[in-house]
Amino acid sequence: MSFLEKLLRSRVFVLTAIILPGIWPAWPILDGNPTVLADPAKFLLHHFGFVACVLLAVVLSLSPLRVLFPKSRLASALNRHRRTVGVSAFFYALIHLGFQLVHENGWPTFWIDLRKPFLLVGVATLVILSLLAATSFNAAVRWMGGRRWKNLHRLAYLAAALAAYHQAAARKIFPVQVLWIFVPLAVLELARMVRQTLKNRPRPAAAAGVSGVP
Amino acid sequence: MEKPSPPCLPGLSIHSACMNIRVPKDWELPESAATPEREYRARSRRDFLKTAGLGIAGSVLLRPGARAATAGFPSRANPDYPGTGLKVTPYNLITSYNNFYEFGMDKGDPVGNANNGWNTEPWTVEIGGLARNPGKWDVDDLVKKFGGTEERVYRHRCVEAWSMVVPWDGFPLAKLVDFADPKPEAKYVQFTSFMDPKHAEGQRSESFGWPYLEGLRLDEARNELALIATGIYGKPIPNQNGAPLRLVTPWKYGFKGIKSIVRVDFTGKEPYNTWQRLASNEYGFYANVNPQVDHPRWSQASEKVIGGGIFSGRQATLMFNGYERQVAALYKGLDLARYY
Repeated sequence: MSFLEKLLRSRVFVLTAIILPGIWPAWPILDGNPTVLADPAKFLLHHFGFVACVLLAVVLSLSPLRVLFPKSRLASALNRHRRTVGVSAFFYALIHLGFQLVHENGWPTFWIDLRKPFLLVGVATLVILSLLAATSFNAAVRWMGGRRWKNLHRLAYLAAALAAYHQAAARKIFPVQVLWIFVPLAVLELARMVRQTLKNRPRPAAAAGVSGVP
Repeated sequence: MEKPSPPCLPGLSIHSACMNIRVPKDWELPESAATPEREYRARSRRDFLKTAGLGIAGSVLLRPGARAATAGFPSRANPDYPGTGLKVTPYNLITSYNNFYEFGMDKGDPVGNANNGWNTEPWTVEIGGLARNPGKWDVDDLVKKFGGTEERVYRHRCVEAWSMVVPWDGFPLAKLVDFADPKPEAKYVQFTSFMDPKHAEGQRSESFGWPYLEGLRLDEARNELALIATGIYGKPIPNQNGAPLRLVTPWKYGFKGIKSIVRVDFTGKEPYNTWQRLASNEYGFYANVNPQVDHPRWSQASEKVIGGGIFSGRQATLMFNGYERQVAALYKGLDLARYY
């Protein structure tokens, strides 16, 4: 087992990689970065939302990676952590909502802003993520049955699309980071679909035989 | 020098020293307005270097301090706009939380990028269009012509629902309009910002359609509130805030306040300002602060006060940003929901 594979299999490593971005904002705040101190709540709000988007894109990339590279030991090492990464995305999104409430100084402004598709889509994303987090336990799979569980968890793709819209609409102009985060995911998903379509097609040799070329 | 907020963690501790950000009393001249020592020394050094024929070397040496429109200081405080009851935003926040997309997309970008070789001195403004007195003028000469600068404390409300209180130095836009002497058929004034993709990295992308462009109706431009700012806190305005001269219209959203103006044209046609061209369903020509007319993506009913810490309250946004008395008459009979 290579060092990299060991590292990627390690739960401690993955948890550290997930938790560090949550602690990082303390640095510019303690450092007294004036741009951050101008509106710390908004800075934290955007930071936690950003990390939630990244984790959501990462967790959804894992299974296409395994399908596309079935022999890669690294892809399968990473796939051990799907639940951890997915549940972390939910927690980052939840903290993100918390800072939205801090930023808006409580519920009244939040309810007013909820009339806007921008915020409504963000809340919808979080509702989906909380459903998925709530059913992330092994017991939930047994209780729901594998098929139903899988169908429910396909909502994660909808969550990613909604998150991408929500992130893009957060700024006055289109933030390019949305593309960095979600385009690789879209490419991987597309590649997986192409691969599966090709795999499910009858083999070319058999097809040639059926067509009856003399 | 104005001592910016002490090293503290706004909002992290409710009882900390950070709660006492010092607010100058109305009658106080900001300490910095008296004789900012560093500025004073920088100026004399620059003058010496110029005399010695080392202008270029000097501008390199003095890059962080070299700013245009040094004429007119110290400003006289305008007693009509003392900022009574307003909590003035600390200098370091005003100068490091900037929307200046020419120098980057993040609010922390311009403070570095606009001070990285971009020279705002000397600076020439061209007056043109339907003006009887067109021509090119040096900024310092203009300031002297208009009798120096005055200090006014204004609320500043961004369309992104945050606000500051800024002690500007500058001269009334009306003086510039009168000086240009617009012809009777002139109905609007159009401002154009600089174009320098070599130093302004944001201008290398063409999606914005640089240079930045803004405009006002002529009666808006003549309103007593409209100011051309050349300074902040009694000092020449830093590059990231729009050196050497920018528009300040405190009853309108901040994006109307075009920075680093190089052209002023008088026209008969309503100027098609940059943000309107980028997203006309979200940003209009008027851009008057109005808590009843929401941005399509967020409410404009309240605003976040910059510099108050994590748990600083929001405050209700006021009609015309609290300047209803001065400007409401300009918009009598105008449907403000339609002409946003």
